[in-house]
Amino acid sequence: MPVDPIADPKSDHITDPHPERWIQVGSSIAPDTREATAEALAPILAAGEPKLVLVFCSPVHDLAQAAALVADQIGASGLIGCSTAGELAPDRSSGGGLTIWALGGSGFTVATGLGQGSAAGLRQAASDAAHCLDDLRRRAHTVLVLLADGLCGDQMEVVRGAYDVAGVDVPLVGGCAGDDMAMQSTQQLFGRQVLHNAVVAAAISSDAPLGIGVSHCWEPLGEPMLVTSSSGNSVSTLEDQPALDVYLDAFDAPEAVRRDPDLFANWATTRPLGIRRRDRIEIRYVSGGDFKTRRLLTIAEVPQGGLAFLMQGDSHSVLEATHMACQMACDGLHGAPLRGMLLFDCVARRSVLQDARIHEEIQRINSVRGDLPVGGFYTYGEIARTKGAGGFHNQTLVALALA
Amino acid sequence: MNEVPWSLHLLSEVLAAFSVEDPNALRNVINRVAEAVDAEVVAILRQGTISLCIGLSAAEQPLLIAHAQDHPASIELGSGQLQTYWAPMGEGALLVVGRLSEAFNLEERSLLRAMGRSIQLSAQVLQALTAEREAKDAALRQATHDAMTGLPSRSLVLERLETMLTTSAAGDRLATVLFVDIDRFKQINDAHGHACGDQFLIAVASVLRSVVRSDDLVGRLSGDEFVVVTLTATRQDAESLASRIIERVSRPLLLAGKLVSHSPSIGVAIAMAGDSAETLIENADMAMYRAKDRGRGCYACYDRTMRLEAQHRAAVEADLRRGVRQGEILPYLQPIVTLPDGRLVGFEALARWQHPRRGLLTPREFIGVAEDTGLIVEIDTLILKEACAIVGRWRTHHPDHPLRLSVNVSGRTFVDPALPDYVARALQHSGLEPENLYIEITETMLVEDIESTTLVVDRLKQLGVRLAIDDFGTGYSSLLYLKRFPVGILKIDRSFIDGLGVDLEDEVIVKAVIGVARALDIDLVAEGVETKRQMEMLVDLGCDYVQGYLFGRPCEASEAEELVEKGQGSLTSSGQ
Repeated sequence: MPVDPIADPKSDHITDPHPERWIQVGSSIAPDTREATAEALAPILAAGEPKLVLVFCSPVHDLAQAAALVADQIGASGLIGCSTAGELAPDRSSGGGLTIWALGGSGFTVATGLGQGSAAGLRQAASDAAHCLDDLRRRAHTVLVLLADGLCGDQMEVVRGAYDVAGVDVPLVGGCAGDDMAMQSTQQLFGRQVLHNAVVAAAISSDAPLGIGVSHCWEPLGEPMLVTSSSGNSVSTLEDQPALDVYLDAFDAPEAVRRDPDLFANWATTRPLGIRRRDRIEIRYVSGGDFKTRRLLTIAEVPQGGLAFLMQGDSHSVLEATHMACQMACDGLHGAPLRGMLLFDCVARRSVLQDARIHEEIQRINSVRGDLPVGGFYTYGEIARTKGAGGFHNQTLVALALA
Repeated sequence: MNEVPWSLHLLSEVLAAFSVEDPNALRNVINRVAEAVDAEVVAILRQGTISLCIGLSAAEQPLLIAHAQDHPASIELGSGQLQTYWAPMGEGALLVVGRLSEAFNLEERSLLRAMGRSIQLSAQVLQALTAEREAKDAALRQATHDAMTGLPSRSLVLERLETMLTTSAAGDRLATVLFVDIDRFKQINDAHGHACGDQFLIAVASVLRSVVRSDDLVGRLSGDEFVVVTLTATRQDAESLASRIIERVSRPLLLAGKLVSHSPSIGVAIAMAGDSAETLIENADMAMYRAKDRGRGCYACYDRTMRLEAQHRAAVEADLRRGVRQGEILPYLQPIVTLPDGRLVGFEALARWQHPRRGLLTPREFIGVAEDTGLIVEIDTLILKEACAIVGRWRTHHPDHPLRLSVNVSGRTFVDPALPDYVARALQHSGLEPENLYIEITETMLVEDIESTTLVVDRLKQLGVRLAIDDFGTGYSSLLYLKRFPVGILKIDRSFIDGLGVDLEDEVIVKAVIGVARALDIDLVAEGVETKRQMEMLVDLGCDYVQGYLFGRPCEASEAEELVEKGQGSLTSSGQ
């Protein structure tokens, strides 16, 4: 991939009198990895030499093979990606597919990073990945894109670790890799390397504005409850009662769900918890239950001592959030023309819409972006830090708009 | 949501985040403070320095320090105006919170003040608890780990091994103990000093840890005794591990600038039904003694006969200690004569144990135990002192018949820095001339740890005492040390003498050694001469001195004195 010839990495923002920027997205639902990669890559190759390539690949495909095929064509530097729980492309929402999102042109500069972590070392892994900012030739607007392993520890630590390096000036966006709801193991891609428990990052700097939109539109169901005992991603008691039982009773869970952990995990997808923040409620995805200890398991921390809500949503609220997040991202461009969008969409929102209405989400996205390139994937957790120091979300759509 | 006091719950969250288990608790807490009020910057300032900070780069942090006294409501950052609040934490510390959007309202300021005080208090409690825990951990570690090497000590090894015996009882792999003892460690310690000895043990511990699997246990029982506790499926697996340890541990180590050669002996014991941890370690210990019997750098696997041997060895040790204490260890003297006339020129002093029940015992029956227990140094110095006294007395009675005396010392005694002092005292008390005393050692002892033996040899040289090299021809046979050290006598090993008249090769070797001795002006003594044929051949080959049954067995001082009284006469007629 071409290296930007302008300025050195440590200099102040650089300007280009005639910047060229392009974004392109390709996708495929072909079952064969080779065929799918070739199909998804074709529009990228037609657009020019990309500086950054994001590969979002269903676990039905061989991510290593897809990465090798992409790297053979355009090189391995600037190539990151992850496994998914569904893919987003300009014209469809797919499962079992492959989407490639890319950008290029002299108006963008890019650097990529990797941090290999574990549940205990997730913050350090995110910091390691975020240090790619040190190598970035800065332009006027910068964002750090993070792809993490949502099945590895408290994902708040990913935001904290990245923020330690990025600081107040660089917003964070991203999502946690998926495995088609198997909840067993996800993959992260860095160059040709396929990893687990890792954080991969891409720092993007642009001459033109970048906008970030975040919305979930879930509403509390009833009064909040005190989180009386929790540790990290595990909630033991709500109001001093076993959290799993409180949750099952409050949502009036069917008998089968009360007995079968797998059924429970699937059922809980559309029934998140909300935690009280200063002026909003943050959503926490319930990824499972421990039927022996009666604990609830979540993707990110539910802090002890705080207030938790049982949350409810429907197709309408999901679609409303889609529109709001995309519109918010475009508004962040302050009138500059949109060139493309990158989306991190919680898999639980997809579950609410189900196959029958998923096309409506694409319609909502298209109503904002027109016919410009858009792509992304269905996640196990979303990252968007635009203010404050936090920014890990669940059941949320995070949209990055690029002018 | 307005009716819910959000700030109270966020304060609860912050306090709940303190954990004695988490070393980064304070860092996580300030993240929570930032997340609670959507702040981009949180820092703790103590005594004009920043002890923790998120959100600002190292280049930006001095901005906070610059305003630590005036506490402005906002600070200009590159990315915008940072609205700040400076919450006192107590004892001069400040919790500084900054937000790029709106200023902090009354409820937020109240929350941040409460957080500041609470964080300080919690941090102090955490510090106290951490200190208490560390002290407890240190005490526990001290009780269960060897302070020098950091390895688990005997009590922890026994505890872990007991657990392993229980959990592995039904499995395919059996608990196995490898008892590792460093050969000649006492000599290394004596020769190089205790500080180097400690360094040596630390290095051995490190090597042992590196050679075993991560789930194996390496412990130090005492001194130079280590154990490896592992699980093995077959005896071959255990033997393979023992070989690997011997190979790795035997690699020379650089200590205080000197390369030290060493080797381990390893006893292997694999758990049998009903074995306790103590029994298994005892079994491995017994096997280690068998390994030592096989020579240095060997291993042996435990079998049931070893327990009887160990009991016998323990009994001999106790008996020997008693014998040494009660003066039952005596010098026996074997004459050394000239060739061809058989004139008496001196004696070699040899230890004998006059046992009250078992009669006269030769060294073969007790030297092994003496060496293992360290009693050998006491025995060597005792023989040295007594033999010098005897020959010194004869010197007075027979002033016209000067006699030389050879005294054997073990390797352990020879590297003991105190040996020259023992020798000096023995000479002083006996009146024996230094030039007539020879300290008899093997050539292996001289060459093996040349750095440490050099110090001893140099001091012996200063005393005027020379060395007799025993068993010459069987070891290194390096001409270099013959020139470097004060060697006065070479003794040709009896195995070559046995071959005289039988094996032409032995004859050639004897001839060559005689040639070397002549060239270097060193006296040559042929040992183990038992027949006239051997004597005649040695005469023909030009050998100067001989000793052996042909000229007299080792005998008590009174009997030896009779030989002295015979004066210059030939002893060949008294031979067998």
